[in-house]
Amino acid sequence: MSRLKDLQKNLFGGSSSNARQFGMIFTLVAIVVLFQILTDGLTLQSNNLIALFQQNSYILILAIGMLMVIVAGHIDLSVGSIAAFAGILVAKSMAEWSLPWPAAILFGLVIGAIIGAWQGFWVAYVGVPAFIVTLAGMLLFRGGNQFIGNASTIPVPEGFRQIGAGFLPEFGPNTGYNNATLLLGLAAAVAVVWRELQARKTRREMDADPAPMWISILRMAIMVGVIAFASLRFASGRVGTSFPISGIILLVLVIAYSFYTRNTAGGRHIYAVGGNSRAAELSGVKLKRVNFFVMMNMSVLAALAGMIFVARSAASGPQDGNGWELDAIAAVFIGGAAVSGGIGTISGSIVGGLVMAVLNNGLQLMGVGTDRVQIIKGLVLLLAVAIDVYNKSQGRFSIIGSLMRPFRRDDSAPPASPPDAEREPAKVAVSG
Amino acid sequence: MRKFFGSSVVAISAAAMLALAGCGSGRDGDSDSGGEAAKGFAANSLIGVALPAKTSENWVLAGDLFTNGLKEAGFQADVQYAGASTTVADQQAQITAMTTKGAKVIVIGATDAAQLSTQVAAAHAAGAKVIAYDRLITNTPDLDYYVAFDNFKVGQLQGQALLDGMKAKKPNGPYNIELFSGSPDDNNAGVFFNGAMDVLKPEIDKGNVVVASGQKDVKQTAIQGWKAEGAQARMDQLLTSTYGNKELDGVLSPNDTLARAILTSVKGAGKPVPVVTGQDSEVESVKSIVAGEQYMTINKDTRNLVKETINMVKALQAGDKPQVNDTKSYNNGSKVVDTFLLPPVAVTKANAAEAYANDPKLAPLTK
Amino acid sequence: MSDVPILLEMRSITKEFPGVKALSDVNLVVRAGEIHAICGENGAGKSTLMKVLSGVYPYGSYEGKIIYQGSESKFSDIRASENAGIVIIHQELALIPGMSIAENIFLGNEPRKRGAIDWKAANRMALDLMARVGLQENPDTLIKDIGVGKQQLVEIAKAFAKDVKLLILDEPTAALNEADSRHLLDLLRGFRSRGITSIMISHKLNEIEAIADQITILRDGRTVETLDVKADGVDEDRIVRGMVGRELSSRFPDHTPKIGDVFFEVRDWNVRHPISAERQVCKNESFVVRRGEIVGFAGLMGAGRTELAMSVFGRSYGVYESGTIIKDGKEIVLKSVADAIDNGLAYVSEDRKAIGLNLLDDIKSSTVAAKLSKISHHGVLDEVEEYQAAEAYRKELRTKAPTVDESVSKLSGGNQQKVVLAKWMFTDPDLLILDEPTRGIDVGAKYEIYGIIQRLADQGKGVIVISSELPELIGLCDRIYTVFEGAITGEIARADATPENLMKQMTSTKKMLTR
Repeated sequence: MSRLKDLQKNLFGGSSSNARQFGMIFTLVAIVVLFQILTDGLTLQSNNLIALFQQNSYILILAIGMLMVIVAGHIDLSVGSIAAFAGILVAKSMAEWSLPWPAAILFGLVIGAIIGAWQGFWVAYVGVPAFIVTLAGMLLFRGGNQFIGNASTIPVPEGFRQIGAGFLPEFGPNTGYNNATLLLGLAAAVAVVWRELQARKTRREMDADPAPMWISILRMAIMVGVIAFASLRFASGRVGTSFPISGIILLVLVIAYSFYTRNTAGGRHIYAVGGNSRAAELSGVKLKRVNFFVMMNMSVLAALAGMIFVARSAASGPQDGNGWELDAIAAVFIGGAAVSGGIGTISGSIVGGLVMAVLNNGLQLMGVGTDRVQIIKGLVLLLAVAIDVYNKSQGRFSIIGSLMRPFRRDDSAPPASPPDAEREPAKVAVSG
Repeated sequence: MRKFFGSSVVAISAAAMLALAGCGSGRDGDSDSGGEAAKGFAANSLIGVALPAKTSENWVLAGDLFTNGLKEAGFQADVQYAGASTTVADQQAQITAMTTKGAKVIVIGATDAAQLSTQVAAAHAAGAKVIAYDRLITNTPDLDYYVAFDNFKVGQLQGQALLDGMKAKKPNGPYNIELFSGSPDDNNAGVFFNGAMDVLKPEIDKGNVVVASGQKDVKQTAIQGWKAEGAQARMDQLLTSTYGNKELDGVLSPNDTLARAILTSVKGAGKPVPVVTGQDSEVESVKSIVAGEQYMTINKDTRNLVKETINMVKALQAGDKPQVNDTKSYNNGSKVVDTFLLPPVAVTKANAAEAYANDPKLAPLTK
Repeated sequence: MSDVPILLEMRSITKEFPGVKALSDVNLVVRAGEIHAICGENGAGKSTLMKVLSGVYPYGSYEGKIIYQGSESKFSDIRASENAGIVIIHQELALIPGMSIAENIFLGNEPRKRGAIDWKAANRMALDLMARVGLQENPDTLIKDIGVGKQQLVEIAKAFAKDVKLLILDEPTAALNEADSRHLLDLLRGFRSRGITSIMISHKLNEIEAIADQITILRDGRTVETLDVKADGVDEDRIVRGMVGRELSSRFPDHTPKIGDVFFEVRDWNVRHPISAERQVCKNESFVVRRGEIVGFAGLMGAGRTELAMSVFGRSYGVYESGTIIKDGKEIVLKSVADAIDNGLAYVSEDRKAIGLNLLDDIKSSTVAAKLSKISHHGVLDEVEEYQAAEAYRKELRTKAPTVDESVSKLSGGNQQKVVLAKWMFTDPDLLILDEPTRGIDVGAKYEIYGIIQRLADQGKGVIVISSELPELIGLCDRIYTVFEGAITGEIARADATPENLMKQMTSTKKMLTR
């Protein structure tokens, strides 16, 4: 009995945010299993998994940046247009100015940075709400894409296509699998084990009891099992295919940005600004710099996402980036971020994005038309956030934050205090 | 303790991997089947059809025809449309899903002809045949066939009809004409225009036909986005600048929407109705032709195009080589694609009843 | 008194939230025409009880009976209780800043003529209602253009518009200055003479003593006692004893100051208003702080105390014009909050929730928020050090929370304030500026906070306390500056400070020095 309780408390962490993440992961697993059954096993087939990652890596990359923007209390509607704008310029740079492709990638990132600096300037230093700045950017850079591209489609060279359509190389003995992917999986498994042990060490140093050993073992076994399963799947795709390069880019970004947002002062400042910008400012956080950074960072990632899409599509086209901002925003909110800022995690957003991706893919495999897929995705988004709100009103763990502030967050709007219904009993509990 | 623990976990993970590897099936498909194994496939196989967004009646009709036609032929049909806003990405995902589901043939009406090469390559590598429907998919060596109406021929028919129509009204030239062409981002627009000029150029050179405004270059004649208001504005401007005291005999219009806009402009200026060409057999234009205003349109019967495509699928199923009638003209940037071209039909008031006899929607209009 | 008819009786009210019993078996008897005060520490259940009464927690979500005007009431929502004449005025005013006084008074209750709002009638009735609460303003004036005191009156006028029989005021004077508070209390007395019954929740015991007829004291969700002010001869100490359940021998801990040399000095400080540049909010202000000294700043609301403090704290308010800051004999220039923190300044803001804390954070990240560099190596945070630092302050300040992983939004006001203090103590400042450090905090926690302030001073730090409560300044500070309309008007040593002479300096520009 107590073991069961231990399990509940410790397997996925005890705090409410972990509970929320556990809920998300559970939802993801449930959806995968559901579609695995409905599609007669096609969902988890190697080639489908590979395609799924390739197809969604750019949206997930956007979700990383969007999470930071939303946590800081802003929104970015321009990511699709920026992706398209950077995409067409990069394609042109290679097709017409014959820039070598590595230089072109650098060029694309620089374009993203310049656009980001432009938008960050208006948001952070002039104080125009990000909603407006990026709405303008959405028009501006979509127009720029059409202006430069003349609404035509520009192909990109083979080398460049690797970042969107490439795979880990084949090498070594014939094991029946892609060896590079297997090695990657092994590295991931070792990393997971190392992290768990580190976490136990940290808990001990905090004078807190780490979870029972068997829980740690169980948790690691599950994670390693998932990694083993995934890497074998990715390694056993058609010869020539394996874990996609765009997936590697995504993984690196997820790890780097997760670390940044959780473990560095800069990341902490983003949450502080989103949670209470005035309080953050009075704690010495350089508000403008943080706002500038999140907006600029978003545009750089948007440019990267645009290039990956162009690489995968082998050409830059006038329709690139249409509606991406909505996919990225949806991923972030399904992943548990708060509309008012201050709450959300990278991993949550990735899981949120994957929920949408698997849903999309599974429905397509079932032959459901785009019209109905859109309806279902809309309902899922609404439902996910509604469950949050409901849980909160019921006094259970709250995802949309313990306080809802006005969407605009400049200092003229007085922040409403948290709903009393929640505060009162809590006070009794602590001070009574 | 911890060391033991760490190594035990590594051992567990290694064991788990081995176990999974043991029961894993290894890599599926070494099928690098670019070569013509050409043995056909099962008669009830899955055939995928990926079409652009449901923005025009034509695509909706094509989708219905594919669904029914493929079913009648005994196949399983998976007909998908791209979403309204995220067309390219949707289509890419749909083609990939069809590949995963093991479709033997994938028919693609591309939303963007140049952005599908990765998916086409994957489909091809998985052993599916890829047929480009109506729009040629570019920059890929993995496209197998192309089925379309002969768009150059469309242009030629438009040019010829323009000449015939003007001659019928006024036996001797010189005739004053104006040229319009479609959106510059549409590959086909240039093909139509070139086809028409193929017929008109000799007459212009002879001086028998005069482009009175002097605007003969495709850059000058293009209407961005096939927009009716764009054509109307250009025609208004041409009438004021050039036809103050001249008579306009004919207008080359690439499609029906633009043709009607041009007619609106001319009528608004109080000028006599010139000979105006068109294309697509839109309901309003067929009415206009019957009423004697628009001179001609082109009938590209979607039914025939779908029928030919399904015939190709049937041939592939049987292991035969599908019928093609052009193996030289259609280079997609990577290879010359085997193509089956359907002839378009020019329709004027004279042959409208005959041309639309099989069309349930248009036939009543011609009576 | 017992012959006066009972207007309201709440019988053994019990209200549970998941995991917490907020009210258990609470009884309240209110007689017609009296002013009934409800006292209790934060979290004692006062607000919950009022929410039960006003239908915020509908009938069925609590146990017990509400008998109002002789029959049992089962309010399903606020509207139902308002229709019965029970109107609650919350601490946080529910007015819409961009609307006029008249519009606010009749919001949701607009006088209509043939479906359209009859603005003529509305303005006429508004003027009438405003006269009843003694508010002289044009009914077209926007709420944001009048002061907090007048806003409070608008709220009450709004209650009258609904034909109120029982007026409930939750901390009505918390945000008001002395003059406005006095006016409000007079108004309540006037209501009493006209037979309107009021229930008042307040932390200001002197006001309660002065105005209430009956006092019901709650503690930990239970009724402790009901006192009749006149008959029982109730005074402040008696109320405190009921609230905390023990005798508080003194409101301030004993303390012998160890005052050193002057180490911090501000000279000729001039600052202009951030938006209207012609307004000078700090006029040539100069002051000094010694090591180990607690310096008070007294002044009416709007006198410019907070503005002075924030402008010194890295120019976080207003437009700097001129003036110098000298610390340890050297002039320092503080252009940003980060500069101020680096130079050993700390500012604990007046409004904890709005600008002091990120309520989404837990205790540990709040504790280290102002000096992340102290727990990070090359920009990477060390979670263990963070935890240990937060845990050390939790123990030192005796913050009541199960762990430092607890969200600060779940803490009571006093414990939140301790977290804010910990956050600034963590920056290891030489000078702490505390702006209204005990606002909204109950008696017991206040005592602890005074103790913390004294300990900080004893460590050789300088402490500036800005407060609107004169007894607090007199009890706590070694020296008090008075501020009036952006200028320092006096400097009074502790021994000479009385509420009377402070008040005199706070309301006139004439300088008085008693050093």
